[in-house]
Amino acid sequence: MSAATILYQQSETRVEDAEEDGTKLWLTLADLTAATGWTLKPEGVCKDEICVPAPDARRAALIRDGASGTLLDLTEFARLIEQPFAHDEKSSVWYFGPAGWEWKTKLSSRRAPDFVLPDIAGKPHTLAELLGKKLLILFWASW
Amino acid sequence: MRQELKDSNFEVVTIACDAKGRAAVEPFIEAAHQMHPSLLDEKLAVAELYDVRNVPAAFWIDETGRMVRANDPIYAQKRNRETGEVTLNREYMDAVRDWVAKGSASDYVMNEHGLDARMPALDSDDVQAAAFFQLGTYLAVHGHSADALVHFKRAHARRPENWTYKRQAWSLGDIERDYGTTFQEAVKDPASGPFYPPLDLGDHRKG
Repeated sequence: MSAATILYQQSETRVEDAEEDGTKLWLTLADLTAATGWTLKPEGVCKDEICVPAPDARRAALIRDGASGTLLDLTEFARLIEQPFAHDEKSSVWYFGPAGWEWKTKLSSRRAPDFVLPDIAGKPHTLAELLGKKLLILFWASW
Repeated sequence: MRQELKDSNFEVVTIACDAKGRAAVEPFIEAAHQMHPSLLDEKLAVAELYDVRNVPAAFWIDETGRMVRANDPIYAQKRNRETGEVTLNREYMDAVRDWVAKGSASDYVMNEHGLDARMPALDSDDVQAAAFFQLGTYLAVHGHSADALVHFKRAHARRPENWTYKRQAWSLGDIERDYGTTFQEAVKDPASGPFYPPLDLGDHRKG
């Protein structure tokens, strides 16, 4: 068991009981939920209204019993939901991007994707609250 | 421009994509005395959501939240290096005025094909590049610049046309030492495609 940092899109969680086995990342079910919001249920791996069933053929790669309870390999789950991920071995930092159903459909809708971002005073703003006027959104950078 | 159109139900929203955060962009925002919402996208998450491949990039969103123009490379005709204040391309400003006046009847409002061309569907390589970029950025801003390099390079190799990935990475390290190139050389690299594609206001018009 070792510590790892999990960047699950925008949320960052430090887990203490990860098992990093080469390219795999086994998490306790408590850490799974804390870091990702996903919960293992009899019907599959669930979050909000979504439940991803664990196919029998991949169940052994996804879930196994560890010394202190059931473990789930987050990289196998990522493959199951077509979620890109990247790993830095030295720092034990893992990044997980959007699931396939998000990155494949995000642009097919003509609605501008909503977002929440802070201004420089730290106050959060959403696109939804800015709507009602015509908006010119201008991305820039200091570099 | 905002001053001119502010009574026409129009607003400018700027989004600074900068992993170095507030400290890096605040001087520019203060110098420009910006009155409009000026937001900070430290993780470049919204830039990714909008598939911003270089900055500056501009989008039009109508009153109902529909995207009507996407990814215009509106590089400044003039930029004051001291204040960061930019003077936008005149042709582009005229297009904005036309849209503000005519709404969806404006010739500059894009149809589906125009939007698709500006925001093409992503493939698994593109999103894998984003994952490497995000991991590299996290490492770099947490004091592991050397470890970030390998991930940045993977991102650049998978998505060479994404200048945001390159420029952000270069700004977090040293382009000559880390990438063995210079900005001038990198911009000319044909594998990457144009640094700023020409502003194209016409091809994707309606009808």
